[in-house]
Order: sequence, then structure tokens, then C-alpha cells
Amino acid sequence: MSTPTLQPEVRADVTTTTEPARSPGPKRRSRPNRLPYWLIAPALVVMVLVHVLPAIGGLVISFKKFNLFTFRELFGAPWNGLENYRSILLDTDNPLHSGFWGAVSNTAVYTFWTVSGTLVGGLAIALLLHRKMPGQRVARTLMLVPWIVPSYVVAVLWAFMWQSDVGIINKILVDYTHLLGHRPIWLLGPNTMWAIVIPSIWRGLPLAILIFIAGLQAQPAELHEAAAIDGAGPLRRLRFITLPLLRPLIGVQLLFGVIYSAYQFAIPTVMFGSNPGPDADLMMTFIVRQSFSNQLYGLGAAASTLLMFVMLAWVAVWYRAFRRDLEVS
Amino acid sequence: MRRKLATASWLVALVLALVVSACGGSSSDDNDKSASTPAANANALKKGTTVNFWIMPNGPQPQADMEKTVKPFEDQTGVKVNVEVVGWDVQLDRIKNAAVSGQGPDVTQAGTTQVPFFAALGGFSNLNDRVADIGGKNAYAPGVWQTTQLQGTDGTFAVPWFTEARAIYYRKDVLKKAGIDPATAFTDVNALQQTLQTIKDKVPTIGGKEIAPFGMPGKKAFDLVHHVMPFVWDNGGAELSDDASKSTINSTEAEGGVDFVAQLVKKGLFDKSMLERDGTGVENQFKGGRLAVWIGGPWVLSTITRTDDKNWVPAARANVGVAAMPTGPAGKAFTFVGGSNLMVFKASKNQNEAWALIKYLSSDAVQKNYADLLSFFPARLAPQEQVGKSDANHEAFYSAIKQGRTYAPIAQWGQIENAYKGRFGNILDSAAGQGKKPFSEGEVKSELDAAAKEADALLAQGG
Repeated sequence: MSTPTLQPEVRADVTTTTEPARSPGPKRRSRPNRLPYWLIAPALVVMVLVHVLPAIGGLVISFKKFNLFTFRELFGAPWNGLENYRSILLDTDNPLHSGFWGAVSNTAVYTFWTVSGTLVGGLAIALLLHRKMPGQRVARTLMLVPWIVPSYVVAVLWAFMWQSDVGIINKILVDYTHLLGHRPIWLLGPNTMWAIVIPSIWRGLPLAILIFIAGLQAQPAELHEAAAIDGAGPLRRLRFITLPLLRPLIGVQLLFGVIYSAYQFAIPTVMFGSNPGPDADLMMTFIVRQSFSNQLYGLGAAASTLLMFVMLAWVAVWYRAFRRDLEVS
Repeated sequence: MRRKLATASWLVALVLALVVSACGGSSSDDNDKSASTPAANANALKKGTTVNFWIMPNGPQPQADMEKTVKPFEDQTGVKVNVEVVGWDVQLDRIKNAAVSGQGPDVTQAGTTQVPFFAALGGFSNLNDRVADIGGKNAYAPGVWQTTQLQGTDGTFAVPWFTEARAIYYRKDVLKKAGIDPATAFTDVNALQQTLQTIKDKVPTIGGKEIAPFGMPGKKAFDLVHHVMPFVWDNGGAELSDDASKSTINSTEAEGGVDFVAQLVKKGLFDKSMLERDGTGVENQFKGGRLAVWIGGPWVLSTITRTDDKNWVPAARANVGVAAMPTGPAGKAFTFVGGSNLMVFKASKNQNEAWALIKYLSSDAVQKNYADLLSFFPARLAPQEQVGKSDANHEAFYSAIKQGRTYAPIAQWGQIENAYKGRFGNILDSAAGQGKKPFSEGEVKSELDAAAKEADALLAQGG
């Protein structure tokens, strides 16, 4: 369903030529417009230098036997073919093998909960803030605060808050509200997954709220009023009007949210150190540990490349689902 | 207008590209152009040269303390020393990159367990010809000298700088209240366990505050292995075989040592919440009066009298006792001895000046003064003994250094330590009830078997 136009006077039969109405001179008609390419050229150069070339370098390293002893040779290190990949995926003798699948599963769980929590929470709060109420401006400004706190600080603060003996969260749960009888341990064991998911959601909410508020404000009030007159309750209006109109925005956040979560590194590393443990070890902490603490650069590069391909597959899947929302009507 | 925009955008791209490539270079202009001259004339110091010196955060005022220490050297020789403090969390990568790229400082501090790793990279000068100048290996305890070597080579790649060993810190007032005699409280591992049990039973609070018997950091601490390994050694185990060809961390003796620590957690003698913290966090718990017994290094001693160290509570500050590590079933006690060494980069164009700085830092008086500032021990024997005799607590550390032991000087040690750290962490987490599987003897064995497998795979990389 295409977004309804807000200015009925813009008609679909306006010509799509780029030339203005006045008669162009012969010179301008023969030269194609190259200005846009010039303008994006700097960004392209920087991207190639900073993203594309290193990615190719990593890809090359993933096919080499690149570890502590061959480090000096850099790209001259011995060729290893697909051995790094085979070893990570299939070699049960390789102690890194189990770490890899553990990290894959943890990253999948982490991404699922973080993205769902951020989108659902963001939408709920945006809906609440969308109505006119006193202090609306103040509330919206306060909601942005988690976003301006750097990830490093978020992780350090939450690490203190999650402390089982003196942390504020257990103090609230056990000492003040008596919701729980014993103090759960958050920084060890299975709860470590929640110890990183919750700050991630906290940090991602402001952006989601901002985007959704903007999206809600762009929706014409007449649609909702008309539906209400026809007898549609708030839930039906949410389901059949609000959500479909928000689809493009949900799509964009889903895309970036999943990619950002899959590459999450700062929060688990700062909270737990280089080894977050079997329940919170994400792909990036695994890769960084294998590459830099264990000096197994070839294996780390192979794991990175595999992660990149999974993300490319995700983008392809996403594109099929949301392609229509990207088209300009 | 269009042309101006286009030119402007290309200029921006060019400037950006230049900025990016310039940022990649280091502040020093040392390039791997000329081979360093052999240790010829040590008197040929070029006045006015600058020696770039990387140190780690030693003590509360690392930059100021170091600059104060080298000032006499600068005045004497006319060689400037540019001190840069590099954090422990990033130093491994920075030193490695500097060694391999040839762009870095002239001299760097390195952890004693890191020297073989750096030496294997090939970017550091072999100081064999120079160390006779400062007394050679006879000026140092054997365990300390070993940290300058690389297994399988004849070279000396570092000069020991300062030393630390771990010993048992305890609260004198807690032991008194529990009726325990400090002289017999920690003599062997069984006495240690008994002492902790008695503290748990008789002294749950002191001065109105809760206090736990014992605590150690978990896998968040970079030095977890240094905390656990002495118990492995005490029990007759070892981290690697004598020739460092395979891992022996899953031997029965090693398992017994690790299990001893895990059992302390299981029995509630080791406060579980300490596992959530890193080394500094647990140190602050002891200073804050929440732990009765803790294993730590000599650097804490100097903070007792520093009133600006607000982590101490008065009760703890006034009642610090230090005891040597306990003996194991075989009657021998071991502790981890570490510290830092100094290394010279091969790519440095100021080899003579760099060596002069190291020689200066190795002189007895400078050794003692700097070590005092940090509350570490000098690495050299003579000043080390001097510091050792200064008071009862220092005496305990001095005897700890003499029973000190360190790891095999192989290049892959850092990685193996990393693998062990993860597995020890899993075992302790499991004992705290937070592991993937419930704690059992079988659990300990399977984690240590996995640790041995990882270590063997890492050893096998060796060229």
C-alpha cells in the first residue's frame, strides 16, 4: 500500500524530464550532468580506503596461515587455502570450533532480543509520547539521554549496577521492593546474556523513539479520525493503519539494528573483559580474542569473513521483504 | 559554480586522504633504514638526542614519577628522555605493532611473561654483548633472569627492571577476633582452609560490617592465572611439561590444585561476588574492609600510608598483615613472581643512548628509589635485599620472591595463559553455581582437558 500523498495538487502526470521549461542552449543539452558524481567522489574515495581495501585485506588473510610466527611476513605469509574455514566449521579437534558455534548462537539470541526489545519498546514509548500532554517536550528530551552516553560509559556503569552484592539493581529488586528473595548474579553464568541485552536496549531506545515519533507525526490525523468514526478501536487502528504506515521505518531500523547487534563489541568487552564467558561471548568478542589474544589471525579473519557473508545474506533477505517500501511512489 | 563545487570536493577528498595516512605514522621518526651499529663505543652518546621511552601505568603517578627518576640521567648525559605512558590494556598490541612495523619508541617496558613473545617477533635487540656492563645474569635471581630469555635461543632480549611476587594479605584484627595465631594460620594449604573456615564461623562481621573470609577475581582479571597457578604448583602440578612441548594442566596434581581453589568457592569460604570483579576491584574490596584474606602484590603496601587513597577504610588500613604463600602436600611453597623488564627496539637509531638509559635505570640507587615509589621490589639482588629487610611486611614479600616461580619462556605463553584463564574462569563460575553444568570433579577434569587441548594446539603452531 503506497503512502497517501499529502498534497493532492501534485499530480502523477507531471513530466519527469530534468530540463527546465525554458529553452536550453545547444551546449547544455549535449553535456550529461556529472555534478552528482563529483559530489559523491570524496565519500567514495574515503570508503574505498577505509572499508573496502581493509575488507579485501582481511579476506586475503583468511586464506593464509597467519599467526604469531608468520606475523612479520604479513601478506607474504604461507598460503593455507580453505583450511582456516574448514577448521572453524568442521574440525571438532580444533578447540576454537566449539567457541565459534557458541558465539554464533549467543549472537543470534542477543540480536533477537535486542532488536525486538528496541523496536517494541521504542514504538510503545513513541505512542505514549505522541499524545499531547504537559511536559511532552521535556519527556522527549529526557528520552534522548541514553543515546548520548558513549558505549564505553554505558558498559562500565551497567557493570557496576549489575554487581550482585552492592549493585543498585539488586538493591532495588531485593532490598527496596522485595520483589525477589535472593540476589541473582548477573555478571556470571546464564544471566550474562541479559546483562548485555538490557543496556543495549536501553541505549537503542532513543533512536527508535525519535524515528517512530517522526513517523507517527507524518501520519494524517484524518485517517485515524475516519477509522474511529467507523468504529475501529485503538488496537485495530494500530494494526491496520499505524503499523502499515510505519513499515518503511520499521524496515530501516530492522536492517541497521540487526547489523549493529551482530557486530556488537564494546558492551560485552568493557563489561566482561576479553572473555565474556560461554553465555555472553558474541561473534566480535570471539573474533577479537582469537585474533589478538591468541594471535590466530588467519582463523579470526576467516570467522570475520563468514560473519560478513551472513550479514550480506541478511541484507539480501531484508531487501526482498522491504523492497517495495524503498521505492518512491 | 559546478566546477568550483567539483574542485572543492576533490580537495576535501585529498585532504582527508592525507590526514588519514598521516595519522597512521607514529610520533617518533625511527624508520627501519639502517642496521643498528654493534655495541661498539658505549661512550659515544650523541648529546641532544631524544630517547622515546614507553612505560605502563606504574603507581598512581606514572608520568611524573618516571620523569622525576630520569631527570639526573638527562642532566648528566644531555640525552632527553621522552616518557609515554601506555595502558596495560593496549600495550601488547602497541608494542607488537611497533616491533613489526619498525616504527615505535627506542625503549619499552614489558611484562616479564611477555618478553619471549616479543622476542619471537624479531624486532628487539639482542643485549648479550651489553649485559656484562651491568653484571650480567649474576646480578639477578635465577627466576628473574629467566624472564629475559627466549627458549631455544641464546639471546638476552630484555633487562629486568622491577619485580613483584604475590603473598597473602590478611586482617590482623579479624584473626585476633577469631582466635587464630598468624604464625600458623597460613603455613600450608590445609591450615589456610581451616583459617578461612574459622573466620567464616566466628567472624561474620567486624566493627558492625559484614566481612567475607576470602576472595579472588574471576575471568575478567587479566592475571587470573597468576592467582590460581601457585596452588597448582604447590600440589606438584605444572602448566607445561619441563621441555614446554605439551600441556600438563590436566594432570592429577594440577587438577588437585585447581580443585582446591574451586572447593573454597563451593564451601562458601570464597565470596562468589568477587568473581564478578577484576583484580583491582577485588583489591579495593580488601582495602574497603569486605575481605579478611586476599592474595596480592607488594604495590598495595605503599598505599597504606597514602591518605589520598580513599579505598582504604580505617579498620583495614590499620590492621594489614602479610604472610608467605602456603606450602603444598610436598612441603614446598610457590608463588607467582612477575614484574617488568626493559627492551630495546632493533629499529631504534639510538641504540647507545637507549642502552645508557637502561644502564642508568639498573644502577642500584635508581633501582631502589623507583621501586620504592611504586612499592615494587628492585630486580637486582643487592637493592632487592635492602628493600626486603625494611620491615616485616616487606620481609614476607622478599621471602616470597625467593620461592618465586614463573612460566616457561616460550613465545606462545601469552596465548596459553589466555586459554587457561578462560577455563579456570569456567571452573570457578561453575563452583559458584553459575556454570553451564553443575559443579563436579568431572567438570573440573573436562575443563582442564579442554584447556590442555587448546594449549597443545597453540604450542603446535610453533615454527
